Amino acid sequence: MIIVNYIASVLLIVLGLYTICFKKHLIKIVIGMGIIDYGINLLLVSIGFNDGGTAPIYSMSDLLNGVSATFFVDPVPQALTLTSIVIGACVDAMALALVIMIYRKYKSVNADDVRRLRG
Amino acid sequence: MMQHFPVLAVMVLFLGAFLVEIFGSKSRLTRNIIALAAASLSFVFIAALVKPVMIDGQIISYWMGNWTPVEGYAIGIGYEIDQLNLFFALLVVLTFLLSGIYSIRYMEKDRHLGHYYTLYLMLSGGVLGLVLTGDMFNMFVMVEIMTFAAVALTAFRNNGRGALEAAFKYLVIGSIGSSMTLTGIALLYMQCHTLSMAQISAMLAKGLSPTGIMALALIFIGFGVKSFIVPFHAPAADAYAAAPTSISMIFSGMVNKAGVYGMIRIVYTVFQAMDLEPMSLLLVFLGTITMFIGVTMALAQHDFKRLLAFHSISQIGYVITAVGLGTALGITGGLFHAMNHTLFKGLLFLCAGAVLYRTGTTDLDKLGGLSKKMPKTAICFLVGAFSISGLPPFNGFASKWMVYQATYSKAVETGNFAYALVTVIAVVVSVMTLASFIKVTQAVFFGQLPESCENVTEVPLSMRIPMWIMSALCIFGGVCYGFVNKYLLAPATEAAINVSRYIDVMMGDGYAASYGVVDMTVAPAGFSYWDPLVWLVLFIVVLLAFCIVIVTGRNTRGEVLEAKPELVDPKYDTFFSGEESMHSHVGGSDLFWGFRTDWKGYFDFMQGMHSGIVNDYAIWAVTATGCAALFMFLFIH
Repeated sequence: MIIVNYIASVLLIVLGLYTICFKKHLIKIVIGMGIIDYGINLLLVSIGFNDGGTAPIYSMSDLLNGVSATFFVDPVPQALTLTSIVIGACVDAMALALVIMIYRKYKSVNADDVRRLRG
Repeated sequence: MMQHFPVLAVMVLFLGAFLVEIFGSKSRLTRNIIALAAASLSFVFIAALVKPVMIDGQIISYWMGNWTPVEGYAIGIGYEIDQLNLFFALLVVLTFLLSGIYSIRYMEKDRHLGHYYTLYLMLSGGVLGLVLTGDMFNMFVMVEIMTFAAVALTAFRNNGRGALEAAFKYLVIGSIGSSMTLTGIALLYMQCHTLSMAQISAMLAKGLSPTGIMALALIFIGFGVKSFIVPFHAPAADAYAAAPTSISMIFSGMVNKAGVYGMIRIVYTVFQAMDLEPMSLLLVFLGTITMFIGVTMALAQHDFKRLLAFHSISQIGYVITAVGLGTALGITGGLFHAMNHTLFKGLLFLCAGAVLYRTGTTDLDKLGGLSKKMPKTAICFLVGAFSISGLPPFNGFASKWMVYQATYSKAVETGNFAYALVTVIAVVVSVMTLASFIKVTQAVFFGQLPESCENVTEVPLSMRIPMWIMSALCIFGGVCYGFVNKYLLAPATEAAINVSRYIDVMMGDGYAASYGVVDMTVAPAGFSYWDPLVWLVLFIVVLLAFCIVIVTGRNTRGEVLEAKPELVDPKYDTFFSGEESMHSHVGGSDLFWGFRTDWKGYFDFMQGMHSGIVNDYAIWAVTATGCAALFMFLFIH
């Protein structure tokens, strides 16, 4: 059932937001950002999915002969998911790079210590 | 030929970014030539569109790879340039061109400049693409490019104070915003099975389903994060202060304008939600708290750039408030203020950069008396300070006046007292802005020259040229507001309201009508800036605001105040007399110390809230999203 996918994706997004909000370890925060991305990716692929649908690849003769070109899996969300995965990977990589630099400078990866800019 | 210009303007920037990375990492000259050539070409492409779009009223549509809609379904990625897009695109190209010119000398002492120019061009391309595109997912990709480049540039001077943590906070909060946007776009796709903004707009015309409302809430909040309205503003203050100043100018001049553009496009065009009163109330509420919290936080700052950053947040509040009114005067005033904010805040950041370039510090306590050493910078700074404080005849006055008038006339129209209160708050915020800039001017350009600044000289010519251009435009906007209104603001306002035209240009004539799209009906803007009766009302309002402040503030006349033990800083002892501290230096930045002490509870609370812990900021963002979604579910049908 596709509804399971939706529930799972919402759970993942909420879990990711919880991680960002309440975990003090900077790397865990980055992992939380990753989990949100996974939730959204799951939501995106689920949107395009049709149970029992075919791949949207048809030759011209198929279409002319009226082969059932109506029930297929929507390819657009899959393209969106691929883009989203790439973007998510870049964001996580950059966040981790920043955490490494922060660790070198502050000697800590606890969010409570990384607060020179405040007020 | 004309319809290729927008896409070329974006492409040339991305192409430039790769070329700089390949050829520019060794040679300074090659690098500057490529970066500036890309920026100027992009500027020329956008400027060439002014005549056909703004004056002749055409709307340009462009389908990538010529994938035009088939049987009423958009299958390709489309760019659509109407007057509203072009208005924001003009702000964007002007800002990054001037910032590029300024960077040449400003950044000369930094290393790895090849990467700097790559990121600078990526950021410019991302923002320009976001502003010009007509496709939801393309918009998301551009938002991500923009955020990514912006975060990298924030951390560019990574040995500076707090640059790394500012970048990290920006990335975390920004990625929460991007995730919201993407989830909203996914929900929209679920409902409409298309990504073209024009087609979605037509399909949503018959009313919003619960999925649609959730999508509206998520995308709205997503762009709210990008424009740094109040619950999401904390990383902005850090990032603006930590980034190189040429980039701070880009942040405040175009990155948060891109967020504002996104919000306008979403609520006016795609969801057509602005004829609903609750949506208007939500935007005005967010805008009002943004301008108030922004300016009060600015009053408490001791760092030049951080103070400007909080003012930037506060001025965006004006824009959101005015745009949220949903009247023609409101939209015009909001757009005008957005434009003016780009000009004067860019100018002020450039002046802060000039001071930083020569003195090496932006701490207000260590600066002073620079008007003797840097007279030209001081004059430019004064122009910017007068503009942002809303003194006539500078541009800030004209736009703020329109905002006051728009909120007040909305109050008269709807009989809702809350809007009149917004007018009062807007005036009070403007007064506090002026107060805060008196403090900065006194602390940086007048007062006593510290010994460390004895050898300061004027900045080089290539850094002064952008400042002069900005100053000239500030004065021009204030004096010739009628001209600006006729050729820029009125067409843009018209485009924001006229949804069916936007749809028809993309999808073919009659498409909007077949889905029953009804344009908003708003009364045309009546301009009466100089109506004496209105002036009188303003003075009464200001008097009222003054009385409120007097009544709420403690009356301390005749009382003897004693230095409390919690005031550890001995330099404040002079306020309480006492011989011991005769020689303590009370700088210009302490000018409003009395005010701050009077409102100690509020300021301590607010400064405590800006705790610098990234988790707290994330909690604000998530809570605000939840509240916005709840509000929309309860009140929007």
